[in-house]
Amino acid sequence: MSRAQSRAGSTAPFANVPVYVVALLLTVIVLVPIGFVVLGGFRTTGQIAADPVGLPDPWVRHNYVSVLTSSAFWRQLGNSMIVAAIATGLVVSVSAMAAYPLSRMQFRGREALFVFFTFGLLFPVAVAALPLYLLLRQLGLLESLLGVALPEAAFAIPITIIILRPFMRAIPAELEDAAAMDGCGRFGFFLLVLVPLSQPALVTVTILSVITSWNNFILPLLVLTDPSKWTLPLGVAQYSSEHSADTAAILAFTTLSMVPALLFFLAAQRRIVGGLSGAVKG
Amino acid sequence: MFLAPAVALYVIFLIVPVVQAVRYSTYDWNGLGALSDFVGLDNYREAFGDPAFRQAMEHNGILVALSLVFQLPLALGVALLLNRRMRGRGLLRVVFFAPYVLSEAITAVIFLQLLQPDGLVDEILRGMGLGALVQLWLADLGLVFYTLFVVITWKYIGFAIILFLAGLQGVPDELHEAAAMDGASSWQSLRLVTLPLLGPTIRIWAFLTIIGSIQLFDIVWIMTLGGPAGASSTMATYMVDQGVNSYRIGYATSVAVILFAVCFVFSILYQVFVLRRDVRGGTTRMAG
Amino acid sequence: MTIWKLLGLAALITAAATALLTTTTASAGGKEQSQTLVWWHNVTQGPGVKLYKDIAAEFQKQHPGITIKAVPLQNEQFKTKIPIALQSDSPPDVFQSWGGGGLVDQQKAGKVADLTKYVKPWIKSIGGTAAGWQVNGKQYAVPYSVGVVGFWYNKQLFKQAGIASAPKTWPQFLAAVAKLKQAGITPIAIGSKDEWPDAFYWDYLATKLCSKPVMQSSAVTYNFGNPCWTRAGEYVQRLLDAGPFQNGFLATPAQQGASSSAGLVANGKAAMELQGHWNPGVMQALTPENKVPSFLGWFPFPNVPGSKAIPGSLLGGGDGYACSWKAPQPACAQFLAYIDSPSVQRRVGSTGFGLPVRRGTENSVKDPNLRTVLKFRSTSPFIQLYLDQAYSAEIGQALNGAIAKQFAGKATPAQVVAEIQSAAKRK
Repeated sequence: MSRAQSRAGSTAPFANVPVYVVALLLTVIVLVPIGFVVLGGFRTTGQIAADPVGLPDPWVRHNYVSVLTSSAFWRQLGNSMIVAAIATGLVVSVSAMAAYPLSRMQFRGREALFVFFTFGLLFPVAVAALPLYLLLRQLGLLESLLGVALPEAAFAIPITIIILRPFMRAIPAELEDAAAMDGCGRFGFFLLVLVPLSQPALVTVTILSVITSWNNFILPLLVLTDPSKWTLPLGVAQYSSEHSADTAAILAFTTLSMVPALLFFLAAQRRIVGGLSGAVKG
Repeated sequence: MFLAPAVALYVIFLIVPVVQAVRYSTYDWNGLGALSDFVGLDNYREAFGDPAFRQAMEHNGILVALSLVFQLPLALGVALLLNRRMRGRGLLRVVFFAPYVLSEAITAVIFLQLLQPDGLVDEILRGMGLGALVQLWLADLGLVFYTLFVVITWKYIGFAIILFLAGLQGVPDELHEAAAMDGASSWQSLRLVTLPLLGPTIRIWAFLTIIGSIQLFDIVWIMTLGGPAGASSTMATYMVDQGVNSYRIGYATSVAVILFAVCFVFSILYQVFVLRRDVRGGTTRMAG
Repeated sequence: MTIWKLLGLAALITAAATALLTTTTASAGGKEQSQTLVWWHNVTQGPGVKLYKDIAAEFQKQHPGITIKAVPLQNEQFKTKIPIALQSDSPPDVFQSWGGGGLVDQQKAGKVADLTKYVKPWIKSIGGTAAGWQVNGKQYAVPYSVGVVGFWYNKQLFKQAGIASAPKTWPQFLAAVAKLKQAGITPIAIGSKDEWPDAFYWDYLATKLCSKPVMQSSAVTYNFGNPCWTRAGEYVQRLLDAGPFQNGFLATPAQQGASSSAGLVANGKAAMELQGHWNPGVMQALTPENKVPSFLGWFPFPNVPGSKAIPGSLLGGGDGYACSWKAPQPACAQFLAYIDSPSVQRRVGSTGFGLPVRRGTENSVKDPNLRTVLKFRSTSPFIQLYLDQAYSAEIGQALNGAIAKQFAGKATPAQVVAEIQSAAKRK
């Protein structure tokens, strides 16, 4: 850290104007591609082919309308939500329980167990695809949303535990002592103290898990053949092959399939912002 | 007791299939017949002897380096920016995280449109009088991998920003106030207070990013299929190419195991040399 | 508190879902009792969708007691899932087969049923096309639509460049490319991102340079020692050196979107494309008016004068169906027979879904270009199956990859042959 001092003081504090300029520039870089998709859905494929850059002229609604009035879209949306809810509920509850002893209890092999869990990070689902398929078939879980959600949860355990562990460890030991004095058992401490105080971290892992599940492609692809069970990413792939020529229709479907995830994030992100202060300063 | 459910789920749906995969990797198997043609380590020998695979490994290495060198300062800068009290801060957080929420497939579809010859990117460059910079973004063998890196950065930088923001929440304002009272500039405050306290978060981010870079697949596969002529291949695209397109399941799983081994060795080293510090850091941090 | 609620809710949902899903899977388990044919096909769009629904309904009416359960899969998904499904103990009964080396692999693994005795009464009526779906003289699958690869071209742009008639020989072809270039027209569109369109050129030049026995034995012996294979690469190189392709062709997909190679030709931005018989359907979908462009014409791949190949030899392939080893017989074979019956075959042609294989149904094809394709297919002395399909998947994929490297300027003709040979040696 001592090296830092030699450079100290050479830079003036940020003035707000440059900050806004940078923020604006980054916003443009982030939003232009997304805007291109959203606006593209309001154009016709002919318009897009004639001028890839232009704005809708005239605006057409029918790409969006035809997606929104198709039952397939809503069914896929529902399936995606079910899978995301099961996978996330499972992984967050199970990982929170596991992160507690891994962060706060002393026992032999704790670090080894933690390392064992982090192994999971090292495998992309594709590695285990074939054996996983055969396993799910044995368990009778093919063609079922649970067959997608369970492996999704399993593959999300490592990252969830890795994120939760430092947060739980950061909660002061005095609280645990106090809880013990109040007659709280370990489970009581976990439910009444640890979980509420880890809320920002839990929200973070919940968001990550929902998004990962929402975007997962390979697992539903393997497990679900019946179109009535499909999730949205499969729907997007199917839609873009069915309408491979109709760029505008694909853009509309793409836009609508990303809306739920964005809305979810919009709703949840305040909780992260809301604050860790309780856990850290307490 | 607390661990049982997680261990059960994890072992059944992750460890068991993965161990099976390791077994397949010692056979010459096209996924159809019986698992009978045991070849020992031949698949591994072949992989390391294949220039296409070595090229793919090299790409993963470059990607790791590029990610650490470019994404870390960028994400850190944006996170610090967003951590300040300013108008529209909440909105900016949402904006920067939006790409992370999009699926890989959607991201790839978007950028395929933008980057095609005479597409939006080319038109914008021309519009700014920079027409000379227009390139064959995805068809130029020397450029395509860097183009993909930009797309990957666009997609994943939001995750880094959110992680860093969460980390910054853990830096008590009092420390900054104290530093300011001692006459420290914002820069000093950043170097001496914020960054050290952000250390654990940065180290976890780096870990995840390196693993992610080694495993990178979806975006590359959809945008370029690892081409042209392997110019944008990664170990994972090589693996899928061998497994799905050539039906060499045994060989492909051996590539997967190599992929795992690389991640494994790296993560052990990282645990030992980098993350270990956080065990101590975690307690001292609370004292502050 | 919210997290508790969330966790509680999650637990509740999980429990409910588990109960729900286990009951549904239990009820789906008992599908073996009645005769059901599970039919995996890759028709998810176009005229085939309705045709397939009709076929299934008609067949069920004619054969009470047999139920057809059709499962449409997007082509790429199909290719990913089929080996895994065949590995399991309840594979689909009827599934898409492209013949060639893929079928040989499935046959070797015992995954496909021998249909020889069932199809004997009628197989002659589909003529020589049946051969591509045989292994060691036995019929393991049956084609229902077979086409050939050729140049789909823009007659107006050819006229504009001063090309009077479609080129018949390789030198004439190179001259036409030069003329188009001079006129400021992109001569050829190609979807090199997908690699297989590159291989069409190499495959075709090999078919036009090597003798028929050399081509045929290559899929059995995998010996590429004959100098004609290297010569094929040298001819490809001469074409590449002429720079006939669109800007950035290495990243262009073959079929997706208006900027794909098919889209470029369909929208008048390139003069021709070497593609299969499916191309009008692809192009139609890529035009703003959703019509096959009126300027579209077709000519077969030009012959190479003085070579050992029989002039008029063509490269092609098609679609067929196989029965898995578990499929109920003769129900499955009966279903395949129905797909190749004159009534269905005529509709395959009249709807523009494919090029029928049954003799006497050729007239059902209405599109003038497809009629030309069919005429050349029917009179061709020798049709070579696409090499990536004719060879075992592993070697076919190595072949496509090696040729793609040459297109990217990363391999010489000799290196291409060496790479294919070394992939074959592993076998």
